[in-house]
Amino acid sequence: MSTTQPQKRAAVFGGGSWGTALAHLMALAGADVRLWLRNEDRVAEINTAHTNTRYLRDRQIHPGVVATTDFAEVATFAEVIVVAIPSSEMRAVAFQLGQHVRGDQILLSATKGFETENLTRMSEILRSETCCLKVGAISGPNLADEVMDNKPAATVIASAFDEVVAKGASLLAGPTLRVYGNHDVVGVEVHGALKNIIAIAAGVCAGLDLGTNSLAMLLTRGLAEVSRFAEVLGADRITALGLAGLGDLMATCSSPLSRNNTLGRKLASGMSVAEAQADSVKVAEGVNTTYAAHLHAKRLGVDMPIVRAVHALLFEGHSTREVLTDLMSRANRFEHTEVEIDVPRLIEGSVVESALNIRAFDGRRRS
Amino acid sequence: MQNSLRDKALTEVEARVLDACLTQATVPGGMQLDVVVNDTLYHEKKRLETDRDNPRWEEDQQFWNGIRTSLAKSNDAGVNKLLRKIIRRYCEEIRGNFSPALYSVATKVLPRVLPMLLNAVSPKRLLSRGLPDISDTIALEGNIDAIQACAKRGTVILAPTHVSNLDSPVMGWAVYALGLPAFSYGAGLNLFSNPVMSLFMRNLGAYRVDRLKTAPLYKDILKEYATITLELGEHNLFFPSGTRVRSGAIEQRLKLGLLSAGLRAWINNLQNKKDKGRIFIVPCTLNYHLVLESETLIEEQLQREGKSNYIRTPDESYVLQKYIRFSSNLLNLDSRIRVHFGMPIDPFGNPVDPETGESMDHHGRPIDIERYVLVDGKPEHLPQRDRVYTQRAGEALAASFLKYNVVLSTQAIAFSLFHILRARHRGLDLYRLLRTGDEGLGVSVTDLCDVALATCKALHARSERDELRLEPGPLSGCDAAAMLQSALRHFGSYHTHPVIVRRGDRVFCEDMKLLHYYGNRLKHYGLERELAPVFDAAAKAGAR
Repeated sequence: MSTTQPQKRAAVFGGGSWGTALAHLMALAGADVRLWLRNEDRVAEINTAHTNTRYLRDRQIHPGVVATTDFAEVATFAEVIVVAIPSSEMRAVAFQLGQHVRGDQILLSATKGFETENLTRMSEILRSETCCLKVGAISGPNLADEVMDNKPAATVIASAFDEVVAKGASLLAGPTLRVYGNHDVVGVEVHGALKNIIAIAAGVCAGLDLGTNSLAMLLTRGLAEVSRFAEVLGADRITALGLAGLGDLMATCSSPLSRNNTLGRKLASGMSVAEAQADSVKVAEGVNTTYAAHLHAKRLGVDMPIVRAVHALLFEGHSTREVLTDLMSRANRFEHTEVEIDVPRLIEGSVVESALNIRAFDGRRRS
Repeated sequence: MQNSLRDKALTEVEARVLDACLTQATVPGGMQLDVVVNDTLYHEKKRLETDRDNPRWEEDQQFWNGIRTSLAKSNDAGVNKLLRKIIRRYCEEIRGNFSPALYSVATKVLPRVLPMLLNAVSPKRLLSRGLPDISDTIALEGNIDAIQACAKRGTVILAPTHVSNLDSPVMGWAVYALGLPAFSYGAGLNLFSNPVMSLFMRNLGAYRVDRLKTAPLYKDILKEYATITLELGEHNLFFPSGTRVRSGAIEQRLKLGLLSAGLRAWINNLQNKKDKGRIFIVPCTLNYHLVLESETLIEEQLQREGKSNYIRTPDESYVLQKYIRFSSNLLNLDSRIRVHFGMPIDPFGNPVDPETGESMDHHGRPIDIERYVLVDGKPEHLPQRDRVYTQRAGEALAASFLKYNVVLSTQAIAFSLFHILRARHRGLDLYRLLRTGDEGLGVSVTDLCDVALATCKALHARSERDELRLEPGPLSGCDAAAMLQSALRHFGSYHTHPVIVRRGDRVFCEDMKLLHYYGNRLKHYGLERELAPVFDAAAKAGAR
């Protein structure tokens, strides 16, 4: 007697490049997938031609993905719901989801960004706007185009609940995608969001043809300041070195497929911010994130020179050249402690040694 | 808890814990029964090395020596028998007794005795106003209807803040005064060392918790006992801080043992299709102008001693003279202990509508909470998932403690003065400041009143945002001079040294540690940062 496994089901909100790619991946792994988007023409295109040309050109979407504009149908279709919509729309969509979802459903955010005002993470919005407790986030080095081309990749599902990680992994993992779990939701989401700022800077760096050394400097110092910020928000330090930290940063900063990186390149070519944004159909989350991170870094007491520089570029009308000069003329520092090199240091626990240090420093300066 | 129910619960605990030991031993990596016995033996022998004041030390020593000797010669069946013996002994240790006769006497006598205990009846008082009424001493306020409604609809876990050994009798009276049945309560052994309190504790359903016992098996038994009482529909009282808060601040790091027992009991009842109703967690804050044991508590906090451990050395609550002084102060100062009940939450941390018993989301939409525990459509225990749920409930409870804290004028003055002094001595770290004090400089009454007024306004803003409660009187009327007067009266009479005194137009702190202790109650509201410029200005003015 043969037993048939019940068909796995998944729901995705957001028919942009990443939402569509996630729906495709889950269908590829054998799930029956419902994809919600607002645009009826695109719904028809996905269901008939199995393409989403606006975001993914002519790449073929798995026929197991059924697109619809019926919000309630998608919200009640599956136990696991992935939300991949722009951060600015997250709260409204989450509130609407709250009218339909039940406590046994799992909500996973695939959006990398913050709500500007209070630096609220996307999974926090899903939690606060719905009755669902089992929430999490998907993040990692996952460029949608490469995922659609079935190139091998890995992603992170972060949640406090092992059950969420396990169910998410059972839906997403397949021949071309490995899934790693992480309990550090804060770290995974914060790194996922902030790396977009560094990606804009990396785009500028590439656009100005500043070379590999510059890019390496940007990546490592970018990771240092992002991880400082993440730690203050409660992240685990080691997450910075994982797929959602360093991994995502490397992918976004080195690939011209990254929308934030592309935005940076356009800025370097002389386009204004408005022109660069208008030139792309995809939302570069890094712009909003730069604003939010810059706003809160001071409040949290975190020094973020690269974020300041990107903010100056995006919102203060500075030129790329000015920003670069500012960054390079900063005082030299110790790498891990961020303490300036060229200032006399006080020696903890000894006023005599502190005084000796100050005198020696003065002597050096005079000579 | 009635004795028949208690015995049923204990038999069930024995069966379940033994079954759990056997089940986990069957999987690779599980602890074999001899390892469980050995592990428990190790923890107990370690405890006995330091717990020599325990009246049962000799007997315990004999028992555990016997276990050690028997273990060496036991086969599998013998080990099983030893494990049963240990579990039974632990169950016997924790069992309380419920004497209906004593309960009946207590409920008649307590309303008279407790205020006398708390007020130490003075001849002056007897002549002027007769015997004190307990409601003059303890004010029950907040969402009283909610806890009463929840107790009818399901099982209540009452979770109060914990600052003093007086909390237990105060809560015992509060439960009785609200017309609720006696609550099951896990009482620390320290409460059994006071002969009067012990008599009540032993016979009014409290079960004994020995915090020096660290064996995982003992903790499992305690938790399972609480779970079963909740399954049987017994209301439970539980102090989530685990022990009295040493710092004086509102507890934010909670021990979640009994909260998780609530969730486990509810899932068990769902699985067994027992309709015992839902489980509601009711937060409650206890607010005292003066704390009986404050001197010892802050000392312990500062010395980093007894952080979460039960301290056996007797403290002020056992010193009769101190007790009487504390009590007469309550009377003479017309000082009321405020017991404030908050809105109930469910074991997942969601708010509950007490009228319907339904859990609600942040937008007030009803939630079917059974779905949180379904696995393939059936209610199931998933320990990792349930631990996260309990953590969420703990966070909601900690937030409720801040929200339902009733700020008292004495605390506002202590907070204001302490931070002026802190700003004045920026160069000193906290411990040096506490040791050296203010070097007799004092703060002018005008400066202190200005800062107290700013503190008061900041508290009002938070009260309007429903982030805390304010005591009726000078604080809610924003009368800084009256607040100061009240603080001087309270702080000037009870403690070994007055916390603050007024000489001429200046106020002096005579006990920095206690000032710090009482001011700490306003920690966690972000006032320090907001009012920093005010403190600095007052510190500079004082220096001039």
